[in-house]
Amino acid sequence: MKTESEKYNKVLNILRNSRPPLDSTEDIEREVINKIARAHQKRLNLSEIIDFLFGWVYIGWVRRSLITACVILVLVFVYQQGVILKRIDVISRQTVVTDKGIVTTPTDEIEKLLLGYKNLGRRFPSKTITISEKEMKDLLESVKELQIKYKDLENLIEGDPDLKKLIEQKLIENNRTKINL
Amino acid sequence: MKRNSIKIVVSMILILIASCDEPKTVVTNYVYPDGSVLRKIEIRNPKNNFKISALQIPFDSTWSVKDSLEISVKGDTTWIKRAEKHFKNVDEINLAYRSDSGANKSYSRNAGFRKRFKWFNSEYRFSERIEKISAFGYPVKDFLNNEELLYFYSPGSLKQEKENGPDSLKYKALSDSVKNKTDKWTIKNFISEWTGEFSKLTEGKASNDISRESLKAREAEFEQIIAENDKKFDSLWANGVILKKFIGETNALRYKAEADSAMKSAESIILNDFKDYSLRIAMPGKLIGTNGFIDSSKVLLWPVKSDYFLTEPYEMWAESKIPNRWAWLVSGLFLVFVLTGVIMRVIKRG
Repeated sequence: MKTESEKYNKVLNILRNSRPPLDSTEDIEREVINKIARAHQKRLNLSEIIDFLFGWVYIGWVRRSLITACVILVLVFVYQQGVILKRIDVISRQTVVTDKGIVTTPTDEIEKLLLGYKNLGRRFPSKTITISEKEMKDLLESVKELQIKYKDLENLIEGDPDLKKLIEQKLIENNRTKINL
Repeated sequence: MKRNSIKIVVSMILILIASCDEPKTVVTNYVYPDGSVLRKIEIRNPKNNFKISALQIPFDSTWSVKDSLEISVKGDTTWIKRAEKHFKNVDEINLAYRSDSGANKSYSRNAGFRKRFKWFNSEYRFSERIEKISAFGYPVKDFLNNEELLYFYSPGSLKQEKENGPDSLKYKALSDSVKNKTDKWTIKNFISEWTGEFSKLTEGKASNDISRESLKAREAEFEQIIAENDKKFDSLWANGVILKKFIGETNALRYKAEADSAMKSAESIILNDFKDYSLRIAMPGKLIGTNGFIDSSKVLLWPVKSDYFLTEPYEMWAESKIPNRWAWLVSGLFLVFVLTGVIMRVIKRG
């Protein structure tokens, strides 16, 4: 043990007596001090940031206000989304119209004119229209066909007394002077 | 009866042919988040004749136009005019409506746009409104129930589809009910319009027995007179018989001119010359509300007919929303921040 200690002291003496030649010990000293300071500063900044960011948790009224704001935000979100989903649900249950729906039909205009005719005896307003010969021919043929069908229907009713009686009865019941087309 | 049927059928066919001559118009509004609107119109006509005075909606030379034609299997030709114009805002559309020289120029129409910031979402509302034309008429909702009202406002194709579908009997009955009730409503409006206009014209001149209130109270009586004189009404009115029966001989002689004038006014309102068309709206973002019908391309659709705005303004509206992503992100970060703070405090205390 003694020998070990002697050896150690001997080596230490040798090292002390053979120092490396240092030109700028001050620079080394400064560098070491800076490194130590930087390491210390880093740790200090992070905790400062955390303290700065979350320091409010230790202030009662700020903590309560922020928690209330959070709750309000969540409630607003839930309410808004709830209302929107409900409205979307109503829309999704609506009937989808086919593309044909975009075309308007003249039926309503005719119905309006017919109403005037049926209730007030109003004549249809005169209009200037241009009809081709083919259209006119088609029209006349349709009227002729209608007349034939009407005659057939009349014969059918005439030939069947029960049917005639039923129709007459229905007409009296409804007191119909208007014509169902 | 036979002669009458033929007469009506021929008249109807002639009207049908005349109606077919009128252009079928569909106007589509593509609404953008900044409030600008791309307006597209499609006009279909059996003839290559697109007079501005016959068109249902405002249209002029500032629109970019594409003309084409379609020939059906039967050989019928349809001329199609497709036009579009980008309006910076609804004010420009309203300006176009005000300076309209088309077939519906005498009807007050306007468009509206509203944007609402609601933190998580921005909500948009676009509407087109047509003001009512009758000052004294009754709202149609007083005559129809909710189901009938829905049917009344439905596009023609939807009605046809339902009447020919699996529940055809139900919808035919519904259709008949709506027709009967709306016929009654039209007659009531006609009477109300006449009494209102007549009392306005005779105000200050006539005695109390033909004041607005007393005439209004006797509307049912007038309705009864019309029903009793079915089809003879026009000739009996011309002879002054009906007026005498209704307001007495002295008043009838004294105010015949006013009564005729009120009759013409009521007639022009009830049997108005509005040319029907269809309106479509495509909203930005997700659709959240509308009073229109949705078509297969998710565009909203409304038939525009004079019955809809006869006694009440007709507003076709749609609402949509676009999520504000940044607001979602900010809110999320805020929640995480507060939650972290609270957890940290709990840990430190523990």
